[in-house]
Formats: sequence, structure tokens, C-alpha cells
Amino acid sequence: MSGVESRVPIGLDRETSRRNFLKTAAWTGAALSAMGIGGFGVAVRRAEAEGEYKTYEGLGDAAIVAFAYQLELLEGTFYAEGVKAGIFKDAFLEQIVAIRDHEMAHADALATTLGQLGEEVPATPQFTFPGGTFGDAATFLELAATFEPVGIGAYQGAAPALKSKDILAAAISIHNAECQHRCAINILNLINPPNDLAFEVALPLQKVQAAVKPFGITG
Amino acid sequence: MNNNINVPGAHELARPRTRRDFFKTLAVAGAGATATSALFAGKASAKTDDVDIANFALTLEYLEADFYARALDAGVLSGDALGVVQNLESHESQHVDALVGLLDSVGATPVEKPTFTFPADAFSSEGSILDLAATFEPVGVGAYLGAAPLISSPDILAAAGSIAGVEGEHVVAINWLLGVVPYANEAFPKALTLDEVSAAVAPFMGGEMLSTGGPKLSAAEAYRLAHV
Repeated sequence: MSGVESRVPIGLDRETSRRNFLKTAAWTGAALSAMGIGGFGVAVRRAEAEGEYKTYEGLGDAAIVAFAYQLELLEGTFYAEGVKAGIFKDAFLEQIVAIRDHEMAHADALATTLGQLGEEVPATPQFTFPGGTFGDAATFLELAATFEPVGIGAYQGAAPALKSKDILAAAISIHNAECQHRCAINILNLINPPNDLAFEVALPLQKVQAAVKPFGITG
Repeated sequence: MNNNINVPGAHELARPRTRRDFFKTLAVAGAGATATSALFAGKASAKTDDVDIANFALTLEYLEADFYARALDAGVLSGDALGVVQNLESHESQHVDALVGLLDSVGATPVEKPTFTFPADAFSSEGSILDLAATFEPVGVGAYLGAAPLISSPDILAAAGSIAGVEGEHVVAINWLLGVVPYANEAFPKALTLDEVSAAVAPFMGGEMLSTGGPKLSAAEAYRLAHV
């Protein structure tokens, strides 16, 4: 790990213990299962009853895009470090490289959108990852499997709150890419069949914020 | 960071700009458009647009569910492909149920399940099934991505996003079975316009997309219109 640490431009936070990280991951998983994915009827009733999108409505388009930009930077940095760590090869490496490029392309597109809106592009946060994250493929992929549903849940939750239809079109396309990543990470985690979800799950803003806070996004 | 992705702006992603664009017909020439126009006939008010979109999505889900059910019945799948297709059939059937439930819940009438036709050798082997699946799934994704910005109800939009993402996962699972690497290889999955979607599915509708009317075309004519 010291070799990796010397090469990474991010802080590997030794204070964020693996135990704390796993608590976060477990919490996210529990939150997702608690949402119940037993069918669309449930999803619709939930949307009507709780409306995840309502938690994003007060933000406005620019703040939603700025938040999404930081999520993409977090994901892009995570996958970039995974590539640099030298823990993947062959098809696995090709997939991790592709996801890295996708996340960075999403960040670029969102930064462009912020520019079009006349908004400042947020500074890149100082991301922190649990020690050992980049030490082996299994640990890395375990974290990847928790990241993707957070990104999916954020876009899916925020989409109906967006005022601009152009930004919505971009957000729903990026959301789809994140869903594709979730399935690809399932494949790398040897989950078979990898297409194991009938309905994607939206997350309310507060749960997304709580899930990414340990990694350095405090916005 | 070296990005080898051509990054589109939000405006480029937003292909169908208006409902009129999305529901733009293929003039009188296109089989899909002719049939699809019948679907929307008499439903011009803004309040029914979401219903139109949901019914169109329901038609696509019926097509996919029917395709995968027949694929399972053909008995030519095994191993990884069998597991994936069992889930595909289950997901599409759940999407059908969900959309019917959604339409019922708003007092709208769900479209009847159309009669679908498939190429003669569509179910003869695992390879032919997966090849056709690989053409269906991006159409499903593109249809939802194209329609999403046109949906008025936030609750229906939330539901559409939930289903659209699953169709995206299907693309990846099929890529995996076909040996396409990387499995997830689109930074920005593409939106399709209604005429593009209609042209893609017309061959499976025998030129008669819906029972609500429209001239019936031969399957061969429908293919020609879809591919020329």
C-alpha cells in the first residue's frame, strides 16, 4: 500500500477505519433493502407517499448539478486509483478503465453545464478512502458495489426535481450509464446472473449526502 | 486524466426537444409511424401525454417480455445465458405489470398486448436469441431516455427512470454473454425519438403495431421500411 500511497494525489485517510467504512457500506445496503424493491406498485406508492425527488426540490438545478459533479469526481478518482493500483488485468482492467473514463466524462459534461448556467464549478474535494481500498481487487470491488447504487439513487431521486428538460435529459442518460456500471461491477464480483434487479432504487438527498460524506464530499 | 470519450453537452443529449418532436411521425411513409399515430389519435391534450408515453412503453415491455418468454420456451438456452434470460423475462414481465398498474391507477386504459411476430430463426439457437436481444435492449433504453424529458408527472418520471436503468443493465448482461468487453461501454447512453423506436420495433409488429388501427403491412414491407 505504501507504493500506492506515494503515487496517489488523494489522501488515504487512516482515520477512516475499515470498520467505519464497512458500517457505511452496510448502512447503505440496509437503506437500499429497506426501500423495498418488491415491485413497481411499491415503487409508485413510495414515490407518491415519500417522493424522493421532493428532497431535491429546494436545491435548484445548479446545486443539483454541482452536487452530481462532485459525485462523479469521487467515482472517477476512485476508479482512476483502482487502475493505477495495478490490481486488475485483462477484461477486468478494461472495464475499470472504461468506467473511470465514463465518470470523468460525466464530470466534464456537468462542469460544462454549470458553465452554461453561469455557475462556478466546485473545487475538487479532498477525497479520502479507507486504508486498503486499493490493496486488492476484492476490496476495491466491494466498495465499487456500494458506490454505484448511491450514484444511481442520487440521479434517480433528483431527476424529477430538475426544472430544465435539457439537464434532465443529460441526467437520465448519465443515470443509465451508472446502472450499466452497477451491472458490470456485478459481473466483476462474479454475481451470476448479473442483471439481478427489476427496478432501480431512488435515494433521498439526505441519504446520498450521508453515504458520500465519509469520502470527503461535505456539500 | 486522458478521456477518450467525446463529451456531449446537455443540449446535445436532449434530442427530442418537444412533445411534437418526440411524436413526430415518419410522415405517411413509415410503417411504425402510421401505426403509432393511431395510438395517439384523439389524445392530444397535455394531460394525456403521460398516458400515451406509458402506453407506448407498455407496448415495448410487452414485446420484450413476449420475446424472452418464447426464448425460454425454445429450450435452447443453458448455463449463464439461461440465468440471464430468466431474469430478463421476469424483469420485463414486472415492468408490464407495473405499467398496467400505473395506467389503471390514473384511470387510463392500458393497451392490449399486441400480437408479435419474430424472424423464423429467432429462437433456433442461443446465438440468434442473444443477437436479437442485443438489438432490443438499446431500443428500450433509447425509448425511455427520449421520453423522459416529455413526462409531466414527477411520479411517472421517477418510475420511468427506475425501469430505464434496468433496461441499461440488460444491455450490459447481454454484452457479457456475447463476449463484448468492456461490458458497460457507453458514457452517455443514447436517447431515441419515437420514429426511431417505431421503426426499430415495426418488424416485430407485423406492420400492425397496435389493434387501434392503421393499415396492415406485410412483415416484409415493415422490414423494408424499417431498414431502408
